[in-house]
Amino acid sequence: MAVQLDRVTYSYNVSDAYRVDALKDISLHIEEGTFVALVGHNGSGKSTLAKLLNGLLLPTSGEVKIFGNSTLDPDKIYDIRKSVGMVFQNPDNQMIASIVEDDIAFGPENLGIEREEIVRRVEWALSKVGMLEYRKLTPFKMSGGQKQRLAIAGVLAILPKILVLDESTAMLDPKGRSEVLKVAHELNRQEGITVIHITHFMEEALNADRLIVLDSGKIVFDDKPEEVFKHYEELKEVKLTVPWETQLAISLKRVGIDIGEGIVKDEELTDRLCRLL
Amino acid sequence: MPIVVKKLSFTYSAKTPYERKALNNINLQINEGDFLGIIGHTGSGKSTFIQHINGLIKPQEGEIEIFDIKLTPQKRPKVNLRALRSQVGMVFQYPEYQLFADTVEKDVAFGPKNLGLSAEEVSSRVKEAIEMVGLDYEAVKDRAPFELSGGQKRRVAIAGIIAMRPKMLILDEPTAGLDPFGKEQILNLIKYLKTHCSPTIVVISHDIDEITRFANRIVVFNDSRIVYDEPMQQLFKHSIQLQNMGLDIPRAVKIANAMRDRGVDLGDDIVTAEDLMAAIVEKYNEKHGTQIDKNACVFDMYDFSQKWLTSEERAALEGENNLQKTEEEKPEKSGKNKSKTKRSKKSKE
Repeated sequence: MAVQLDRVTYSYNVSDAYRVDALKDISLHIEEGTFVALVGHNGSGKSTLAKLLNGLLLPTSGEVKIFGNSTLDPDKIYDIRKSVGMVFQNPDNQMIASIVEDDIAFGPENLGIEREEIVRRVEWALSKVGMLEYRKLTPFKMSGGQKQRLAIAGVLAILPKILVLDESTAMLDPKGRSEVLKVAHELNRQEGITVIHITHFMEEALNADRLIVLDSGKIVFDDKPEEVFKHYEELKEVKLTVPWETQLAISLKRVGIDIGEGIVKDEELTDRLCRLL
Repeated sequence: MPIVVKKLSFTYSAKTPYERKALNNINLQINEGDFLGIIGHTGSGKSTFIQHINGLIKPQEGEIEIFDIKLTPQKRPKVNLRALRSQVGMVFQYPEYQLFADTVEKDVAFGPKNLGLSAEEVSSRVKEAIEMVGLDYEAVKDRAPFELSGGQKRRVAIAGIIAMRPKMLILDEPTAGLDPFGKEQILNLIKYLKTHCSPTIVVISHDIDEITRFANRIVVFNDSRIVYDEPMQQLFKHSIQLQNMGLDIPRAVKIANAMRDRGVDLGDDIVTAEDLMAAIVEKYNEKHGTQIDKNACVFDMYDFSQKWLTSEERAALEGENNLQKTEEEKPEKSGKNKSKTKRSKKSKE
């Protein structure tokens, strides 16, 4: 089991007397090789969950296990951080070197890996995110999408088994978003890396194996995306939307034009509409 | 006429190996009351352009006239930049990153203070601005900005601009990074500000489905030039060209185009979800002999109406509605705000 959360609660101390439970008694198992999309409105606990996965935060109660190792075990924390790579929201905050390949080498250098192996890993990681031709250039003038792909490459160089994207597409333009999403799916398919993609964009969840919806620190849905999107009203209640195409089908059905359930993609919508009209 | 731009060109790092033309012969007129959307991919010149409009970049070639203030490449006469910036308010991307003071009140006061206004004038403008963005003045004024939620922080940042009472507001990606509900709140705020504060609004956005919900006119930047400047309803006749530039087109246009390719023509005037649904209903009636009202379809994807809200959020929303109402019936205002404060305190307990 790649990720195992057993009855995890995490609370922040707002003041001495006031505590807020960001996550409430959550249990969650994720199998290796799964692509998980995690959604929820601001403050629902998504980022807290992400930070618990590599021990940046430790649970107030309960236990987080990564491949069987608990984040509470100080002897295992480095193993855990090697197997869980995290990419954050802001592309500008994640570059440290002025040349692309130095930046990618930073992680493995810190693990004390031999030079030849580092060179191999840098090349491999850059080619995986489609940025090999930029290896000698500076990252600072690149687009947001390119920077985030470099951030992913920097994490890949540590050979993680789990990749956590904590709203890594939020600050990007549509092109950058689709680049990053494509790389994440390729890594999942080709390298078998478990991906946990945290996002506000419902359409980014469409191709995930599992869609988990958080609200007020609890899991309210955990199913295939097309199943979750059938729960239109409940999603609204937790301040989320269904994909645009799903909404269109729902709105048409209300006036008596039924084009069927479970529509989440534009090709499906076009197809059903053409058959009807 | 708020803004007239004539033959504006700009080159970064001119006469160096890094020379790059960012604007190439831009001519544009922005009218009072325009709700203008600017689109274009990253690096197309749109940010360089709006930085000219409030004097962050001095023109290299051409000129800009903004509310009787002239910006030209000449050094003299000196431009009154303070007057310019109080008339054209600029809300940058992620404006909450620019909050710096230790209380909300001090942060919002920074702009008007720098305009050289009296202390009383500053504090009354601060109060007005904070209420205008839908926050409870008494409840937030002494709080540190970083204690607030992401959406609230962004409102505080916008309040700091509103406090200067600009005649025109420019917003760069105002909803970026917010969840669907936070996006709706900011969009509603922008619409509210257009009627109650700044009648001319310019919004830069990558989200075409968002921009088509409010803009009446769209300007498209590509390769440092303006390639289209059209009323919103007309622009997507060029959808093939827009897609070739790497720009998104509205989902409704995409669906209508794909259906036309398969032999189902719904007409040319489709831009929004509502347009698409009305056309579908008409076609359906024609084919199936039904009599469905084509305006009966409601696309409520973005409607987080009261039904979906918690009691605290509903109270906040009612507060906003009251504020809008009390524009006409002033006396009620203070009373309702008080009751709102009480309610939000209660729900916290």
